[in-house]
Amino acid sequence: MAAANPGIATRRRRPVARAVEGQELALIIVLAALWLILSISTDTFLTSSNLSNLLYSVAPIAIIGIGMTAVIVTGGIDVSVGSGAAVVMVVVAKAIRDSGLPLAPALALGLAVGLVLGVINGVLVAYGGIHPIIVTFGTLNLYRFLALRLFENKQVTGVPDTFSVLGGGKSGETLGVPNAWWLALVLAAVMWSYMRYWATGRHWYALGNDAAAARLAGIRVKSRTIAAYALTGLFVGLAGIVLIGSGGLVQQNAGTGLELRVIAAVVIGGTSILGGRGSVLGTLLGALLVGTVTSAITLLGWRSELTELFIGVFILVAVGVDLVRERRRRAR
Amino acid sequence: MTTDTTTAPPEPGPGLADRGRQSPIRRAIDLVLSERVPLLAVLLVLVVGWFFLLSNQGYLVAPYDSDYLFSALDSLVPLCLLAFAELVVIVSGRGGIDLSVGSIVSLCGMAFGFMVGLWNWPVLAALVVTVAVGAALGAINGLLVAYLGFPALIATLATFYAFGALALLSHNNAPISTKPIQDVHSLTRTVSLPLGDQVPDVPLQVLTFLLPVAVVVWLVVNRTAYGRKLYAIGTNDIAARFANIPVRRSRFLAYVASGALSGLAAVVIVAQFASARPDSGSVGNGMALPAITIAVLGGVAIVGGVGRVAGVILAGLLVVWLNAGILLAFEGSDGSQFQLFALGALLVLSALLNAYSLRRGRGAG
Repeated sequence: MAAANPGIATRRRRPVARAVEGQELALIIVLAALWLILSISTDTFLTSSNLSNLLYSVAPIAIIGIGMTAVIVTGGIDVSVGSGAAVVMVVVAKAIRDSGLPLAPALALGLAVGLVLGVINGVLVAYGGIHPIIVTFGTLNLYRFLALRLFENKQVTGVPDTFSVLGGGKSGETLGVPNAWWLALVLAAVMWSYMRYWATGRHWYALGNDAAAARLAGIRVKSRTIAAYALTGLFVGLAGIVLIGSGGLVQQNAGTGLELRVIAAVVIGGTSILGGRGSVLGTLLGALLVGTVTSAITLLGWRSELTELFIGVFILVAVGVDLVRERRRRAR
Repeated sequence: MTTDTTTAPPEPGPGLADRGRQSPIRRAIDLVLSERVPLLAVLLVLVVGWFFLLSNQGYLVAPYDSDYLFSALDSLVPLCLLAFAELVVIVSGRGGIDLSVGSIVSLCGMAFGFMVGLWNWPVLAALVVTVAVGAALGAINGLLVAYLGFPALIATLATFYAFGALALLSHNNAPISTKPIQDVHSLTRTVSLPLGDQVPDVPLQVLTFLLPVAVVVWLVVNRTAYGRKLYAIGTNDIAARFANIPVRRSRFLAYVASGALSGLAAVVIVAQFASARPDSGSVGNGMALPAITIAVLGGVAIVGGVGRVAGVILAGLLVVWLNAGILLAFEGSDGSQFQLFALGALLVLSALLNAYSLRRGRGAG
């Protein structure tokens, strides 16, 4: 990408790169404006219970989004995350209900299931030589099939509250903020610095910019690709556990459409779908925006279908703005 | 990869003498693995033969016979129309894909529902307008992708959301199933062909929708200048620009065609359900997924520039008849679950095979 050259030049002049870049700044402004408008126009938005609900509902999208950012930065995509989350949810929910698995092993089980699903995606993408969207479309079906077989035609009821510490209720909050969201923040911080300052993290960007050049530069393309998908799988495991939350019910349609929301969050956050550019910070903000819109439409009493319309429009605006900036960068 | 791969007869090149030395079995295996159409034909025979066998042995819930196969063609019609839509879009290259076909189906279905069901328009006029609406929706995708430079995946993801939401909003999330709409169901009746009693009844929609569209799509992509341009921009759009091909307009038109085909599919689906449902295109995982699966299974390369109508039709037949067989092999909802499995496994396998045959193609030069 020709646009990379001026970027490198400016970075050399200013060794401490800016933490917040154009798109992220714009997103913060949009979010702040939305929150301001909503707190003025409704008296329910700026209540601790509503904000806590919002953050909890956004947490799974944000957590998976962190992994998805890495995948998209490598120039790939993973549309199987919704089905993967369903597999994790049914396996873990049945384990904690039927064999009374305590928190730590259940968590490990969820992460392990997610990791396996992620590694399958990664291996198929790295060694299959097929476009990732096709691979993961295929595994989307396969994982959904697996989940439905495990459900045995029944939703899982009476799931105990093993994970209430990550759930949406009062017991899952610290300082009024859901623990799931704290978790997302910590993971995002770790991933943000990893992708920014670690060599292996930078390799993902190199891969996304030009996989052939990356290979010639000595980057182990295949293992880095698998790592990105495996990590996403791990986060899918975690998100599945957050979705089980305080227990109760796990429905057969769990996780359907989750992948589109995650991808929307990542893209709205300024990560280029073509690979090579993006950050998890933007993804967090994108997820918040998606969550805020959903919450706002419920609070304002608008038709819930408008949520989807707004998400679509936001994607177009975010990518459109990015395209314009990219063109300007190239013209400079 | 050259556009040669898209023309029907394999050119007898210098490789032929080389191949002549190999044993005929080896050559047959090579042909089946590297050419998609013979491979699909073999798979089709295997699948249908296998289910016939199971049926004769009494393992299936109901007989898997020619009557059943022909009635299963019902579901082939919308699937194939949407797979054609994906064919033109994916062939147009630069990451071309259309995730929004399902939502276009929903929205066009509602438009058709309004025109026929509430405003009492004649069906033919409504059909034409519905296809035009689909083309207009496709034009929005085309504008975003071809002229504004949005990645196709993102543009059509966004319009998937937006069109789907509009479809739900259009009639307050309620289906339109008034008398005139129910009458449209007659479009999907079966007719007997004048070929004797041996040939089972054929769903009318195969004759009125699928065959003509297949012929038109085949003619357009194989026998018109536009078709050649489409493959050219899909293979290498910089080279195409140097060859003075209007790259943007050609790509734009591919998305318009995809929208129009989706509009046509919407009419078929409304007729099949005898009801215009606002979510008709998004049930389950949506309609884009099976359509893309069939296109890829049919040998359409996701990188663009490669893909044939015959491959898509054979892939559609394979999926539909496989699904029909699976439905009989299991009781209750198990069948529909195994259909998911079959679709996913087929997609991954066929994509692996595509990668394999492309690599071989490159190796041979």
